[in-house]
Amino acid sequence: MSIYSRRRIADSVVTGLSIAATAFGLLWLVLVLGTLLENGIAAITPALFSRMTPPPGSAGGLLNAIFGSVVMTLIATLVGTPTGILAGTFLAEYSRGSRFGEAVRFINDILLSAPSIIVGLFVYEIMVVRMGHFSAWAGAVALAIIVIPVVVRTTEDMLNLVPNTLREAAAALGSPKWKVIVMVSYRAAIQGMVTGVMLAVARIAGETAPLLFTALNNQFWSTNLNAPMANLPVVIFQFAMSPYADWQVLAWGGALLITLTVLCLNIGARALAAWSTFKQ
Amino acid sequence: MAAEIALPRANATTARRGAIGDVLFRYLTFLFALLVLLILGGVIVALVDGALPALRTFGISFLVSDVWNPVTEKFGALAPIYGTLVTSAIAMLVGIPVAFGVAVFITEICPIWLKRPLATMIELLAAIPSIIYGIWGLFVFAPFVQQYIQPSLIASLGQVPGFGALFAGPPLGIGVLTAGFILAIMVLPFISSIMRDVFETVPAILKESAYGLGATRSEVVRQIVLPYTRIGVVGGIMLGLGRALGETMAVTFVIGNAHRISVSILQPGTTISASLANEFTEAVGDLYLSSLIALGLILFVITFVVLAIAKLMLLRLQQRAGN
Amino acid sequence: MSPTQAAARLAMPPEQDVRVPEPMLRQKAVIRNVDFFYDNFQALKNISLPLHDKRVTAFIGPSGCGKSTLLRIMNRIYELYPGQRATGEVLVDGENILAPGLDLNLLRAKIGMVFQKPTPFPMSIYDNIAFGIRLYEKLTRSELDDRVEAALRRAALWDEVRDKLRQSGLGLSGGQQQRLCIARAIAVEPEILLLDEPASALDPLSTQRIEELIAELKEDYCIAIVTHNMQQAARSSDYTAFMYLGELIEFDETERIFTHPGQKQTEDYITGRFG
Repeated sequence: MSIYSRRRIADSVVTGLSIAATAFGLLWLVLVLGTLLENGIAAITPALFSRMTPPPGSAGGLLNAIFGSVVMTLIATLVGTPTGILAGTFLAEYSRGSRFGEAVRFINDILLSAPSIIVGLFVYEIMVVRMGHFSAWAGAVALAIIVIPVVVRTTEDMLNLVPNTLREAAAALGSPKWKVIVMVSYRAAIQGMVTGVMLAVARIAGETAPLLFTALNNQFWSTNLNAPMANLPVVIFQFAMSPYADWQVLAWGGALLITLTVLCLNIGARALAAWSTFKQ
Repeated sequence: MAAEIALPRANATTARRGAIGDVLFRYLTFLFALLVLLILGGVIVALVDGALPALRTFGISFLVSDVWNPVTEKFGALAPIYGTLVTSAIAMLVGIPVAFGVAVFITEICPIWLKRPLATMIELLAAIPSIIYGIWGLFVFAPFVQQYIQPSLIASLGQVPGFGALFAGPPLGIGVLTAGFILAIMVLPFISSIMRDVFETVPAILKESAYGLGATRSEVVRQIVLPYTRIGVVGGIMLGLGRALGETMAVTFVIGNAHRISVSILQPGTTISASLANEFTEAVGDLYLSSLIALGLILFVITFVVLAIAKLMLLRLQQRAGN
Repeated sequence: MSPTQAAARLAMPPEQDVRVPEPMLRQKAVIRNVDFFYDNFQALKNISLPLHDKRVTAFIGPSGCGKSTLLRIMNRIYELYPGQRATGEVLVDGENILAPGLDLNLLRAKIGMVFQKPTPFPMSIYDNIAFGIRLYEKLTRSELDDRVEAALRRAALWDEVRDKLRQSGLGLSGGQQQRLCIARAIAVEPEILLLDEPASALDPLSTQRIEELIAELKEDYCIAIVTHNMQQAARSSDYTAFMYLGELIEFDETERIFTHPGQKQTEDYITGRFG
């Protein structure tokens, strides 16, 4: 066999393997989403949204869990977003090459990928132990700690994309630096920053581990933020691992709800990003 | 006090207010940036504080003992650590080649119009929450593994003398292998996406020179792209490893939660995060709780080191690409 | 300022043979012995020249000669970047604006700048113009409307945008965006206008309109313009400064520079012997 034909075969093999790998990856996406839809659709009934989590062996819904998840996600977003934006602003606008800025960036990226169960442990130690009980507040704080690094990163990246000439033009009119940032830079970067927040929300919507030892779970309807609160991920965990068929169906339903939310936010964020680059 | 230029319309008060605004805003942003560092510091302090009782009681034997007995209050981290490392190793073994293939396909082979949608779809794999993989793994994948994959593994590789011990035991479906495999699917989009970004930094002109000499695509990838991006690729792999080490819910559902070390990867086991997820809320007794937090500390240290190395490597590649 | 004072202000080293015509002509600004450094690299060497009020002074020279750098000293916009510093004096109405402790924001409200690339803010046309005004003045809605309209008229943009003031500034064409930036700069009623190659990113028609605009604006402002387009300098300016490698080679009335340049280097540049 000539050298050339050996090379061609090697090339075809590599190409073939790459295609196979891609197909392999996509296969799992289809499988997971497909079975999720198949098993979860049975649980999507009006009862799902109107009744509470039932005791084993009886029918019910996920209303309290949905409510709890929404509330804690909301609080986490409200707390984590401004924090992340301000920290990201510092990195982009005030920390040119400083050691402190580099350290913050480095640590932030590590927090970004750190195991979320560690965050749960941390909030357990500083809030649950201190307060003496589990609470939705603790759950929200744990989620907020996951939101912050994501928002810091996207804020910094988006602000770095704002051209310096824009800042100079505002400064040249006599604008103080903070107004340049708030009224010009933020406005220029707003779409990217919103995308970042959407991705952060998508991330915490499905997080279970941080809630396991902070908000715990609650079988009943509760609006008390100072007590354990039901939430979708922990309910799914509990119900799926159980031997009860009713519970398992509800678990699939909850899983489907979470996945739909997450996918919508993700695709929405991408669409927003693509639209804004298209506009410019 | 800043000297002021005579100005007909603008006034000094506004200017002074602007200057105060500048100072305030700067400190505000600085404070929140500091918060990021404080969070990390807090995590370390809280974990160490919580783990101290267990560490003091067991000392270094905590790391090497595989005893885990809540009744006699004897705890050892070896089984969870072992499980964490083995499942992550399996995840890397399966995930890296697949991620590499995906990255090569998307950057070098697939037509332009397909790039974005394909990349998006692979990234959706990363968006799916861990618990979804867990519940899918438990109800769909584990039975499948039990029915088809494990018997065939036992029948084939399990018969090889010595090496076959890795595939011994009854096909249970759940276990270390299943958990490792699901982890592979979860980390492959991360690794693949970083590899893609890193492959794109190769200057087109470098690749074109190679193609111009008649190199085949696989040769360009192997001999131009890979060497150029080597550091970034390793960084991406380490990032994926960091994720795999810390993954909780998917693993918890399918690993079987047995505090024991088996040679066979077909057997159940446990990981640090799975132990925490399963046992933390039920733990009775300060030593039990403290041992679990000590597990968390160990996991934190391992992932911190891995992620720090990953970040440094990616930084190095960025600097090179910048030059 | 009396003619003798004017002459005394213009304490020029003898090598730079500069004639000051029209003794009653007011110097709005005087640049005196200015050096500029990007970290350790000296970009400007001992520059001294006057800027006359209600006149256009053009800065020409090959790329890298320091003309933009010199312009950016006038409103100290370089201070946004660490490592850049200027020494010497720039006297505006007798006051040294390079002095430490000076309020930079007030300075920049008095000395406006238009940049090479049009930079409309990501807001409506109205808000673009109002941005600078709102920084320092509290006006009623109708007063603000008047000021915005006046600025847009002055910049010859009013007729084209009067119906779309609420639309984003980014939706305008390049030439319109640049006129928007000019309107934005003059809305705060500065006394000196710095134009850094304002037409270089524009098509010839827009360039012409900008040049016409400059001719009108000079009735009210002291204008300094950096341009790499010599014909533009010859057409639009009253005084010209030729710079090369960070030094001021020659400064004179435009007509004299372009017909009887004093220095050989100036002549070489103008005749295109090097660019």
